[in-house]
Amino acid sequence: MFDFLDIFFVQQLINGLAQGLVYALMAIGFTLIFGVLNVVNFAHGEVYMLGAFVGLLVIQVWAPPLVAVILVVVVVGLLLGVGLERVAFRPFRRFNDEASLKSKALREATLLSSLAISIFVRELTQTYFGSEMQAIPQRYLLMTPIKIGALNLVSGQLVILGVGLLMFLVLQYTLFHTRVGLSIRAVANNLSGATHVGINVGQTIIATFVIGSILGAVSGALVGLYTGNIYAQMGFAPGIKAFVAMVMGGLSSIPGAVISALVLGVSESIATQFISQGWSDLISYGLLVLTLLVFPRGLFGGSDERV
Amino acid sequence: MSHFSGNKTAIKIIRTMVMLALGVTAFHANAETTVNIGYQAPFTGEYAQYGIMFRNAATLALNEFNQSHRLAGAKVNIEFEDSKGDAKEGVTIAHKFSDDASIVGVIGDFSSTVSIAAAKVYAETHVAQLSQTASHPDFVKISPWQFRNIITEAYEGPFMANWLYQNGVRKVAVINIQNDWGQTASKNFINAFTSRGGVVTTAEPFNPGTRDFRSILTKIARTNPDAIYLCLFYEDGAAVLQQKAQLGLNAKVYGSSAIYEKKLIDLAGPAANGLKLSTTFAVNSPAQNVRAFVKSYESHFKAEPSMFAGQAYDATNIMLDAIVKAGGAKATRDGVRKALAETKNFPGVTGNTTFDPVTREPTKVLTHLQIRNGEFVAVSE
Amino acid sequence: MNVYKAWPRLVPLLALLAIYAGLVAAGSGYAYRVATTVAIMGLLAASANLITGVAGLMTLGHAAFYGIGAYTAALASSDWGAPPVVTLLLAGLVTSLVGLLVAWLTRKLVSVHFAVATLGVGQVIYVTMLNWVDFTRGPMGITDIPGLGAHSDAGNLAIVTAVCAVLLWGLSRIIHSYFGNALRALREDERCVAAMGLSPARLKIQAMGLSCFCAGVAGALWAHSTRYISPADFRFTESISILAMVVVGGLGSLPGALLGALILTLFPELLRSLGDYRMMAISGIMFASILFLPRGLFGEASALRLLKRHFNWQGAQ
Repeated sequence: MFDFLDIFFVQQLINGLAQGLVYALMAIGFTLIFGVLNVVNFAHGEVYMLGAFVGLLVIQVWAPPLVAVILVVVVVGLLLGVGLERVAFRPFRRFNDEASLKSKALREATLLSSLAISIFVRELTQTYFGSEMQAIPQRYLLMTPIKIGALNLVSGQLVILGVGLLMFLVLQYTLFHTRVGLSIRAVANNLSGATHVGINVGQTIIATFVIGSILGAVSGALVGLYTGNIYAQMGFAPGIKAFVAMVMGGLSSIPGAVISALVLGVSESIATQFISQGWSDLISYGLLVLTLLVFPRGLFGGSDERV
Repeated sequence: MSHFSGNKTAIKIIRTMVMLALGVTAFHANAETTVNIGYQAPFTGEYAQYGIMFRNAATLALNEFNQSHRLAGAKVNIEFEDSKGDAKEGVTIAHKFSDDASIVGVIGDFSSTVSIAAAKVYAETHVAQLSQTASHPDFVKISPWQFRNIITEAYEGPFMANWLYQNGVRKVAVINIQNDWGQTASKNFINAFTSRGGVVTTAEPFNPGTRDFRSILTKIARTNPDAIYLCLFYEDGAAVLQQKAQLGLNAKVYGSSAIYEKKLIDLAGPAANGLKLSTTFAVNSPAQNVRAFVKSYESHFKAEPSMFAGQAYDATNIMLDAIVKAGGAKATRDGVRKALAETKNFPGVTGNTTFDPVTREPTKVLTHLQIRNGEFVAVSE
Repeated sequence: MNVYKAWPRLVPLLALLAIYAGLVAAGSGYAYRVATTVAIMGLLAASANLITGVAGLMTLGHAAFYGIGAYTAALASSDWGAPPVVTLLLAGLVTSLVGLLVAWLTRKLVSVHFAVATLGVGQVIYVTMLNWVDFTRGPMGITDIPGLGAHSDAGNLAIVTAVCAVLLWGLSRIIHSYFGNALRALREDERCVAAMGLSPARLKIQAMGLSCFCAGVAGALWAHSTRYISPADFRFTESISILAMVVVGGLGSLPGALLGALILTLFPELLRSLGDYRMMAISGIMFASILFLPRGLFGEASALRLLKRHFNWQGAQ
């Protein structure tokens, strides 16, 4: 009965973990922004996509070593974060008090504005680059196979694992051991209290967007090079998975989001072993609904808050 | 008070829309000696690249036709409309084209889903519709007004099954995209292959938009097939080929004609070598009309034409030919339909096209290709 | 009712009707098609408005319910030959049942969690439609759906308009009733509602049931007027379009939802001349509308204030 527990099963686990890591990379930045600002940033997928495109452009124009490409992408992520906050979110923050910032009207307005921006950016990219996948110079692809016994790994998977860990650690360090992180946590925790203590809410919000967008842009560039797929629509599907992972993990918990993302990836992969891939999509969403039924606030969700 | 300003703005917007609407429906000026063809395809959205290929190829065919002055004293014009790959839009465009009396025939759409939705309209408004790529078996059965010039899977499935069998493949795994074309392709191939005595170890559909095929490939690896048959488009194909190489899976790979596209090699790199596929259109064919088409396309659009471009080019030419046979500037929609139905041995870059007098299905010829050293090469085995 | 005082509310509605009448009068198949789409989308947006605008529960999977209605009608009429009257009713009932089930399962979820749960449910339904080939015919779709039975385009449009009008009137009555008030209270503060002795879970379930009934009928109308449906019509992107219509028009107001549906259906048609830049223009319009008219084109507050003035109702606001 357990004859499926063979080397192929382990390979599927690895496939699943790798896929989950891809979702997790995007989920980290997404969760940061939501956790602090209570806004769903639909445009995060486009930041991810633009990170990949900018990385590709840099490769095509200058062909520098990979580290330099990533650095440029970090800078671009920074600029995108600032721009996004200014265009899609700041115009709607007409008042800076807590009730307004956590109100439904703001949530819905920013949801729609970030959605409109994401459509606009996607269409613009598509008009300029076309909807097809962009060709990437072979030597930049993170696709070298690595064989460990009978298992097959790819260099890109290890890079993503490494970078994911790095991002997570850097983020935890920033949040818990720097002033900026402190203000972010303060604003996330209690906005009026933070204002009273003298924290500049506006700047903190910008910082949150910047950090989240840098993470998003770098994820996009790396995943693009690992999968070899860079195209205008690439941010949409992972964006949905990241959103799902975030909610499943408990809205403001970054470790929760990462774990949920991994669970999603592994469940998809293992399910494909038994049913067709089409149905395995259903497994991950079914898992999501099941989780929410048992844990109405997500796996690591905190107690509910009152506005 | 805010609700007043909301109301005032609402009223202003409504007024603008009414004026725009009236303006749009009133404007219908057409020169007397221009005959119009409607062309619906996705120019935005995820399939935009194919719609743009169609537009390029159709424009090429149209310009050649107009410059040849085959229609004395008259010109043909193509109206392009973006269907976004959405059935809703396809239906609306179908109505729009049908209402325009100057449009005598329509080409489009890209996917069977949109083509069929639009076909329901054309069947009632009696406009001939020629799709360059809709391969759903029900499409031409909707009414006598539907035509297509793409190879059907009822022909390609057995063709590929025979090829694999002749090359010694006895166990095959199939991967197909879960849309109407992919399903049909997979089913036809599997039926043909199993009736020849082969075994299909597993058939794996995947939802459109999937980028990671490792789970599917690992599952296939476990069943140890001699070969894998791919019913998908080139972008998915590139991902499959690369990931297959990464997983160390050694089975041979065959693909249907939909995978034929130069960019497959750009995307997949060395992993693409060894892929065998069929096609109706080969870029390096020595045939004179193909060479002229490829040269013209490359000089205008700075890219190699693919089978999809070839299909659109031929479809446009078939439609133009039908218009000439139906009387040119005096062509009626009925006349165009009749002329289309009588298309026989029409020479095109995707081979000769004949529409069966009863079923209106096209008969075409497929050839074998293989990717060797980053090039598509015609092969015999 | 004092017509003069009702004027600010009636004018946009009348203008809406005027555009609709204009489309009908234009008489071309194209205009009829656009009018049909506007009517069906309007009903769909209004049904989504009941959950999202009035009850305050953002739903990201509404297109799936619309799809269930469409598939029910399509399968009932093409497999069993049921007439449109039966299929419309059946579609509404089946969708309503599914909606009730989903609402019951998610009764403890709030705001974002509910939204993601509906996203999940929507995807589950879509994937089922796509892959359960034996039942739904999968990606091939259902190609032989009979029409609505009228002998002309105008007749079909009349049927669609009539059905939509009846359901919209029903929705309007629901919104302006005590039940509607309870839903609005649910939107503002769920715990107060519970403290007042009402059951939030029951309210959610009832709202969802009603909303899904209307969405199901809209789906059935769509199936019969388009004659071909496939899973691709009911993806997540459709749910987002529906949400956009509700928000652009104004959360909580029925005329707003209709206006949103009208704008987001009509503008893409009018802007066809923009060609490839059309979607960019549409997203620009969406962005501008949410920026400059945050409560939508016709926000709900005005409807409430209107009620208060009309009936001297202390309950509102």
